[in-house]
Amino acid sequence: MNPAKSYAHLFSPLGGEGGENYRAPGQLTFLRAPHVPLETAALKSHGAQYAFVGVPFDEGNIGKPGSEDGPREFRIASQEYLSYWFEFGVDLDGLAVDCGDVPMPKVNPDSARERIYRAISAVLEAGVTPIIIGGDRSISIQAARALSDHIGNSNKMGCLHFGAQLDLAESWAGETLLSTCAMARITELQNLPAENVAIVGPRNAMNPKDYIDLAKARNLRFYPMFEIFERGIDAVIGEAVERVWNGTDAQYLSFNFNVMDASAAPGVTSAEPGGLESREMIRIADAIGAKKTVSVIDVTELAPVYDISGTTSRLAVCAVLRIMAAIARARGQLVDPNIRRSDLVAVQA
Amino acid sequence: MNDTASGAWRHVPHQLRGPRQHIGTDDHIYSPKLHNGTFKSQGIATFLGAPYCPPDRHAIREMGAKVCFIGVPWDQGQVVRAGTSQGAAGIREASTQYFPYMFEYDVDLLTFFNLVDCGDIPIVPGNNTKSHDYIYEYLSECLHGGAKVVLCGGDHSVPIPGARALSDFHRQGRIGYLHVDCHLDAAPDWAGNAFTNCSGPSRALDLPNCNAKNMVHMGSRNGLNPKDWHDFFVDNDVRLIPMQELVSRGVVECTEEIFTRAWDGTDGIYFSWDTDSIDSSCMPGTTAPECFGLKGREVIQLARTAGKFGADIMEVSELCPQFDASHISIKTACLMICHFLGSRAKTMRDRGQKP
Repeated sequence: MNPAKSYAHLFSPLGGEGGENYRAPGQLTFLRAPHVPLETAALKSHGAQYAFVGVPFDEGNIGKPGSEDGPREFRIASQEYLSYWFEFGVDLDGLAVDCGDVPMPKVNPDSARERIYRAISAVLEAGVTPIIIGGDRSISIQAARALSDHIGNSNKMGCLHFGAQLDLAESWAGETLLSTCAMARITELQNLPAENVAIVGPRNAMNPKDYIDLAKARNLRFYPMFEIFERGIDAVIGEAVERVWNGTDAQYLSFNFNVMDASAAPGVTSAEPGGLESREMIRIADAIGAKKTVSVIDVTELAPVYDISGTTSRLAVCAVLRIMAAIARARGQLVDPNIRRSDLVAVQA
Repeated sequence: MNDTASGAWRHVPHQLRGPRQHIGTDDHIYSPKLHNGTFKSQGIATFLGAPYCPPDRHAIREMGAKVCFIGVPWDQGQVVRAGTSQGAAGIREASTQYFPYMFEYDVDLLTFFNLVDCGDIPIVPGNNTKSHDYIYEYLSECLHGGAKVVLCGGDHSVPIPGARALSDFHRQGRIGYLHVDCHLDAAPDWAGNAFTNCSGPSRALDLPNCNAKNMVHMGSRNGLNPKDWHDFFVDNDVRLIPMQELVSRGVVECTEEIFTRAWDGTDGIYFSWDTDSIDSSCMPGTTAPECFGLKGREVIQLARTAGKFGADIMEVSELCPQFDASHISIKTACLMICHFLGSRAKTMRDRGQKP
């Protein structure tokens, strides 16, 4: 045995900190952004506004598997877009970097959760907004905990969650960190007041009675789809955004992508009829962007195996880019409207 | 569930038996405590995990079942693509991803209705007449057992024996008939066969106690509607709400209208709901998918509104899981039933009625 050579790749992973998933992706990046290591110092010196972080973890799911392939397909779908968005007059190029995926150990969910927490903490330390792509919904528990700890108890955070399920199980089969427990854990964070929580889109029969009971006990405001049918998306999202941004120092924005109607997003772990239409998601992006700031964005439960035509990943990318574009416009980060293609030709000549 | 008389309705899902038993009475409407419950760990697949009940009037009465789910794996009564014989299996499969509790109505569908799954009706391959006779007999058992029926097709010829069963059940009175479908289905016959999926409304009007004024068709559109089908509604003065009218007036108002008409002076109604009434983007897994149909939220609103009125037999037909690559159609079909029953339960509870 040559002591200078590594033989670890010949064997099953040893586990613990060394056991990486051999199906790790390569260098494909979100919106062709530069890759920057997932370290606070590197992110700080780059000066980006957003860091894309994939979290290929689906050991918190209770139903259909498949969300661990979400980050990969999200990156691929992002190649279909350009950085210039004419509706907003902005250029997203240079705003984001891609930190790759958080390396996930298999069959060690405790270690995985700590890695997620540390990764998101590192991004927040750099003053950068993480754009997290799951992975199942349980990853939000760790990311929200990271945000809560990052701002500390002297500051307040808000949480705006979109999803067909309330995810308010105190515990599920004795476990407390599964996707079904996500909002139960997040709303326990000390610096997240109930009046700054809004949940948009719950519907249908995957919301057991204890979810509703806990929502009432904790005074959590949720906006069921039936309410959106009655009031329209603009009224509901306007009210929800006001709740979350009102007097808060940080905002956690979370999309379980099954908030979309099954026809708009068939490629999720639990596609649900009666959800949001794509044009409503665009209105939502505008409403969020108008607030100029968001601390964390996550998109979870994408399941490419059911996304036969790739439309779900595309819509998810579009929603995130639109939020980025709307924020850029609200901050006045506009492209000079007088630039013309002929100017480039003139420079080249 | 305190009634422990032998044969009485009792709900203990297969998955919750064994060494690791959930023991609370209402465990099935709460997040599971000991293991993942019915999620992933499937037992014998029944609709929403409901107990099995033999399709027999005495057994149904003894169990006190007020709603029977029953499947019809029949797809040889139709003229388009096959595959709808697997529809009921698809709905049962989709229902394993749901709780019987619906927060929109604060109701447990299982215990409110003593819901049971009566399995599938046996059919005879290649013999539409015999298969229809069996459907008639099995539905008659459910009705005489004192239950309402959720009938899952199967192709859209099943309302022919279905409405016949209801007609005979209410032979002293009158029945109404609703047909929600992309297609008008009003052929006198199709190549000489009068009992295909093209003739539901035509055969319903043949029944001795079903008047034109208690019949409505809703959701018709597009180019698979020959002229004789349309002529039927004009010539017999049967109310027709094409898709364009539904879009203009809204699904709730139109649904209220059709149920009000069907229930006007009748003793019971047959509600036939073809999955191709739904837009092909939401319902790719159907026999004849069509654009310009109901959106997902309109499906749920239709089911909710229908539940306010109720029906003796609610039928969901033409579901084809084999074309449902992303499993969205089976979930939609499952929810058509869940929202109908949920809304029905809430309506009855608000009025102080029992099923």
